[in-house]
Amino acid sequence: MSVLEGKELRIVGFLCNWCSYGGADTAGVGRFTQPTDLRIVRVPCSGRINPLFVMKALIGGADGVLVSGCHPRDCHYAEGNYYARRRLEVLKGLLPVLGIDPRRFEYTWVSASEGQRWQHVVSSFTAQIHALGPAARFTEAPEPARLGA
Amino acid sequence: MSIQDELKSAITAALPDVSCVVGWGAGPEPLRAAPLFIRGEADLEGFSAGFLSVNNPALYLPSLKGSKVGVVVKGCDARSVGQLAAETLIKREEVHVIGYPCRGVIDVDKVAAKLAGACETGEVAALREDGDDVLLNTPKGEVRLAKKDITADKCGRCAFPNAGNADVFVGERCAPVVTEDGYADIADFEARGLDELKAFWEQEMSRCIRCYACRNACPLCVCRDQCVAMSREPHWLSQGDGVRDKLFFQIIHAVHLSGRCTGCGECERACPLGIPVLKLKRALSRRVEKLFGYKAGGGDTPPLLTFLVEEPTIKERDWK
Amino acid sequence: MKIGVFICHCGSNIAGTVDCAAVAERASTYPDVVYATDIMYACAEPGQDAIIAAIKKHGLTGVVVASCTPRMHEPTFRKAVERAGVNRYMFEMANIREHVSWIGKDIEANTNKAAELVRMAAAKLRLDRELKPKSFPVTKRLLVIGGGVAGIQAALDAADAGLEVVMVEKQPTIGGKMAKLDKTFPTVDCSSCILGPRMVDVAQHPNITLYAYAELEEVSGYVGNFDVKIRKKATYVDWDKCTGCGLCTEKCPSKKSYDRFNEGVGPTTAIIIPFPQAIPKKASIEREYCRQFNKGKCGVCAKVCPTGAVNYEMQDETVEVKVGGIVAATGYDLVDWKVYSEYGGGRYPDVVTSLQYERMLSASGPTGGHVKRPSDGTEPVNVVFVQCVGSRDPSIGRPYCSGFCCMYTAKQAILTKDHIPGSQSYVFYMDIRSPGKGYDEFTRRVQEEYGARYVRGRVSMIYPKGGKLMVRGADTLMGTQVEVEADLVVLAVGAEASANSSALAEKLRISYDGYGFFMEGHPKLKPVETNTAGVFLAGSCQGLKDIPSSVAQGSAAAAKALGLLSRDMLDSDPQIASVSVNRCVGCRKCIEVCPFKAIQEVDMRGQPKAEVIETVCQGCGLCNATCPQGAIQLSHFTDNQILAEVEALCRF
Repeated sequence: MSVLEGKELRIVGFLCNWCSYGGADTAGVGRFTQPTDLRIVRVPCSGRINPLFVMKALIGGADGVLVSGCHPRDCHYAEGNYYARRRLEVLKGLLPVLGIDPRRFEYTWVSASEGQRWQHVVSSFTAQIHALGPAARFTEAPEPARLGA
Repeated sequence: MSIQDELKSAITAALPDVSCVVGWGAGPEPLRAAPLFIRGEADLEGFSAGFLSVNNPALYLPSLKGSKVGVVVKGCDARSVGQLAAETLIKREEVHVIGYPCRGVIDVDKVAAKLAGACETGEVAALREDGDDVLLNTPKGEVRLAKKDITADKCGRCAFPNAGNADVFVGERCAPVVTEDGYADIADFEARGLDELKAFWEQEMSRCIRCYACRNACPLCVCRDQCVAMSREPHWLSQGDGVRDKLFFQIIHAVHLSGRCTGCGECERACPLGIPVLKLKRALSRRVEKLFGYKAGGGDTPPLLTFLVEEPTIKERDWK
Repeated sequence: MKIGVFICHCGSNIAGTVDCAAVAERASTYPDVVYATDIMYACAEPGQDAIIAAIKKHGLTGVVVASCTPRMHEPTFRKAVERAGVNRYMFEMANIREHVSWIGKDIEANTNKAAELVRMAAAKLRLDRELKPKSFPVTKRLLVIGGGVAGIQAALDAADAGLEVVMVEKQPTIGGKMAKLDKTFPTVDCSSCILGPRMVDVAQHPNITLYAYAELEEVSGYVGNFDVKIRKKATYVDWDKCTGCGLCTEKCPSKKSYDRFNEGVGPTTAIIIPFPQAIPKKASIEREYCRQFNKGKCGVCAKVCPTGAVNYEMQDETVEVKVGGIVAATGYDLVDWKVYSEYGGGRYPDVVTSLQYERMLSASGPTGGHVKRPSDGTEPVNVVFVQCVGSRDPSIGRPYCSGFCCMYTAKQAILTKDHIPGSQSYVFYMDIRSPGKGYDEFTRRVQEEYGARYVRGRVSMIYPKGGKLMVRGADTLMGTQVEVEADLVVLAVGAEASANSSALAEKLRISYDGYGFFMEGHPKLKPVETNTAGVFLAGSCQGLKDIPSSVAQGSAAAAKALGLLSRDMLDSDPQIASVSVNRCVGCRKCIEVCPFKAIQEVDMRGQPKAEVIETVCQGCGLCNATCPQGAIQLSHFTDNQILAEVEALCRF
């Protein structure tokens, strides 16, 4: 089982429970149509998101990763998103050197009331990933012939 | 008095107050020095600091925490000491830092490349420094090599040759090679393009034997016996031999070091397969420096353990 | 583990665009899933009973329900599985309604996505562990922020029920906006006659401590045990000595101060008692207008005060209080209408706001209840009311309806006729919004009995002409341009969240919307709760509302607070961090980042180790993401669980 071949790409979202997950709920309640590619992992706070989760998804075959938390100053836990902002912003520096297109990862802030903003974020990020196309997966073992070449 | 003698008397002076002084002594072969733990004046005989003082003695400090120790450091090693102290992984007051001006250290892989076809580095019977050159006794006769051709890459971008935080500094401070690390190597590397880089890491990591020498050589890798690579709890990694797992370990190492890595390069130096794993860390260091003006090792709080409510350098996407 | 999976149809809400039976069938192939079915309404009684029956029949040890958002029904289902003897944390939800069926109509894609979300939930559930809450004692004291009618109601209800209440009001008197009103709709009751006694009750209630002219400085702690710092601003009058005699206000030589209470209708003195029924009835000095502070000499008030209460050296003071719950009732402010240059932008003295007009109508106001034109003091004949000034106007970022303006305008038109029998009122309106008990009848009476002329259309321009104001607008029902010659124009200025409401929300760690209104826990089911346990909302700070609704919400917030604080002990959420001591290397990084200071260093056989203070940890997981070796883990959201979810999506 996976994404719908030829239709969807693999996009993983990490959302904080209090703001962005609520914003995604608000978008749903408002019936704001969105692409179906995104799968959301719910975490309590964007501060819970170890940047390595993002890397795990990207190395594991995700075509895109989207992180969303509470707006700065509006963190349910006061400070988690401030740490997240720094960590995720720094993480962007690692992607190109690994050969991963940095546009495959974005982070943003969406509050529980911003259903429309969530719709917009999901739609534009999904469009961005579709424009990039499927990510080439890291092979487990390169061709033996090339070894030592 | 030569720098060697000055260092020896600084160590002698420190010995009564410390359980040991970490420095360098003779190694397994003439091209390689090894860490030396000096507990009494008798141990001093083998001590020597200079072109072969490759290892970072700061590596041993966290495990010696709890008693006062001395350490002889190059400028880059001193940055590691500073970072360890900033993170309270060591107590600065428990460490007596003896600095000297460093003019670069050897890269044995470069010597090997120079000797390629003639002999192995292990066959070199003796090494003698002669001004800006070294003379090697090889089975095929004496070989003269310019130091600059066999100096470690990191020394070519050294901004801190003088152990700024030393308690005792011997010798004349020397001018830094550069005032600012421009990360030109990383820019050149990135310029190869995403596809090539991905293929590059697939190739390189396929050679990785998961020996963790890179991690063991890292003075800031503090998880030690609890490293997720061995405990596999949390299950970040499997035991598998695939490229993705091996690359992911390097990503873990780099991310754990982001905002902390001083660029001492021991990870890459220690790699028996010559995989350029420092590049990942330097890519993150470049970003940290650009965003937060932070150079690890200076003693300030690591940037990822703090924040500003308004981040002037972070330009967030507005999704318009 | 034996997992049961229940795919909810939610009537047609989910089943309309998700093939629930197909999802259940696919779920039955997932690891550890021994039972999977689809179900019409999982949350309804038959649904919950079916889950309980399945747990018993199949010996399930964990349950996945795929239905609506866990923010809605997670507590419902947790209780249900617990009734069947399964620990409430051995339960996971997959959100296939808000995140699937409601956002797209592609059945194939939705069904596939729903199945993947269920796979994630099941993968996470496999790593869930039974958790048991710990209990901790509660501070039985309630903080009410804001002394308007909503806050007063909440405070009195809670205090009457026996709770200690601390009220903080930023103005020198309580009463809020209602105290400024002359009459109230639709009964045309005297506002201060109905509010005044409640204000006195606050002052005299043995269970209420009032801090007027004070602001909330800092809040720390958590539900049941908040630590609150209140800054009492310097009034330069010792309120323990002040008797409220008012002599100082009579003698004060600075007579051109802006009169905040009277909305600037006429000046006041630098030392003031805001109005005769003020609570507390104490004087305070407005420093910016006081000669003693501005010129360094005066001292008249100090000289005349019979009790020697004036103290120019007074400093702000901080009070610390422990409370178990908090009600925010910070009300609203008027929109800055001066952005409307077409209405004169404040240049024409005879264009006033509705709240200024209230003060003119009030017998205790600066005009003694006589309606006079500010420009020349004459009584107006033609009074024009302009509705929706700063409401329903996206061009100034205020697209919402303020809700109460239609009604107060009708009231003011009635009062105008009462005050000046020969007057004629005109009301320019967009739509008349009067959906309350007796409200629509009221707006008819103003037209039918009081002869107010209602013109449906926006006013495009107000300009002065020979001592009068020309009001030009459209009559959209007649399809013509109209122009009215007015003596006085009253703008029904819309309302917005009170100034600094977002800063307060940040202190309280509650959410607010784009306009600064505080977010309720659920738009339907939790209208006075917030997402921060122990913090409740009352009145217009949550969204604009009139007096009866504010009072109702004040009572509701009090009831919720009472429900919470009637318990001696509260259960702590067990979804908190815990340290694996053998794996902790004592690097202190978790201690450094914890926003709640919930982690401390302890010595374990000479080794430093981190330890979580269970009652302080809020479960954000920041420490977990910081610990390099993962020695500190957030229960129910462990690294392994999140990794399992990622792997369920991106199989390595």
